[in-house]
Amino acid sequence: MELMKLEIVTPNGVIFDDEVKQVTLPGSEGEFGVLPKHATLVSLLDAGIIVIEKADGSEVAVAINSGYVKVDEEKTTCIVDGAVALSGEDSNLSKALEEAKELLKKAESSSIAIASAVSKVEQIGKSF
Amino acid sequence: MANLKEIKRKISSVKNTQKTTNAMKLVSSAKLKRTEELARRSRVYAAKLTELIEEIAQKMQNASAEGLDNIFFQANDTPKKIDIVFITADKGLCGGFNSQTIKRINQLIAEYQGQGIKVRLRAVGRKGIDYFKFNGVELNNEIVGLSAAPDYKQSSEFIAEVVESYVNGETDRIVLVHNGYVNMISQEIRQDQVLPVDTSKLELSTVSTSEMEVEPDDDDTLLDALVKRYVEYSIYYALIDSLAAEHSARMQAMDAATKNAKEMVKTLNVKYNKARQEAITTELIEIISGMESMK
Repeated sequence: MELMKLEIVTPNGVIFDDEVKQVTLPGSEGEFGVLPKHATLVSLLDAGIIVIEKADGSEVAVAINSGYVKVDEEKTTCIVDGAVALSGEDSNLSKALEEAKELLKKAESSSIAIASAVSKVEQIGKSF
Repeated sequence: MANLKEIKRKISSVKNTQKTTNAMKLVSSAKLKRTEELARRSRVYAAKLTELIEEIAQKMQNASAEGLDNIFFQANDTPKKIDIVFITADKGLCGGFNSQTIKRINQLIAEYQGQGIKVRLRAVGRKGIDYFKFNGVELNNEIVGLSAAPDYKQSSEFIAEVVESYVNGETDRIVLVHNGYVNMISQEIRQDQVLPVDTSKLELSTVSTSEMEVEPDDDDTLLDALVKRYVEYSIYYALIDSLAAEHSARMQAMDAATKNAKEMVKTLNVKYNKARQEAITTELIEIISGMESMK
């Protein structure tokens, strides 16, 4: 399967920079998935979860509060304000989950979006 | 003997000062390392953000015949009112760090006023505020404590007010001046035009011409949000940059001060030894001449 580059940048530095199979993003007009060779797109991002399918098939989730994404054929760049990574390999998963929930609750988005994002965080917590 | 005591007191006082300056130097170099790391990391974010703005500006310019019609991009060649936002440190003892910025501000004011432009000042940092207040220059806005500990939220609130007056038409241009970090031993004054976004600086030609989808559909929502973030981030980054520069300037100044103190102790020691020798010689002469007279 084809791969594309994904980069997630926060004010505190680059937190993710790797080749991925697919990424699902919380756009302001609704959640959308991006595969390699996606048409060029710029979108606002709302509070929510970015789900990344890595090259080896494993999934990583990143909770964000708000930001932008720029997609072109080879590369997807997310510019976000705040982000907390949630992944199975992380030993401090429970702490990360708490942080993610905290981050989402502080975001200035609609309460429905946040509620759905928080429930997703909880699901991820159970699945790992 | 009084002279001897005095010199001794001076030596110990200089030695104490030397201890203080040395400690300040160490503190600054430790803080510099941390701030430098912060600056390095946020530079990536700033670069990506600028890149994104460039592309969208390019796209919008291609889309409409008359170019960009967003308020944040309309260049005004004959501004009547300019806001200068400048950053100085809250503390002194860092060489020419603050005075360089102040000098540049004074230059700018003179230059703009010569062209008949009204200038308003907005200050970050105690040293700059004190200087202009002492000289009777009115400051439109001032904030203390932000330059020692840059905080995104606080700096955003500060700049939001400036942006608002730009949108309301109270000011035609916003210029940001600060003393930026170059490397461990040098700083340079940086002067940036924050608003309107300077399209001449953006590298518009390098962007691909392919169609770009934008969500939400209406261009202005996205662009407004982006520009707001861009401005907020510009000032935040300037604060970090200024802090790094402040620490490097202080490190240098304190290093020089420590060296000078060392020199001074050396010369004072020589002076002390000479005075002591003199006192001994005088005493000896007195004793000898006393004995001579008894013969």
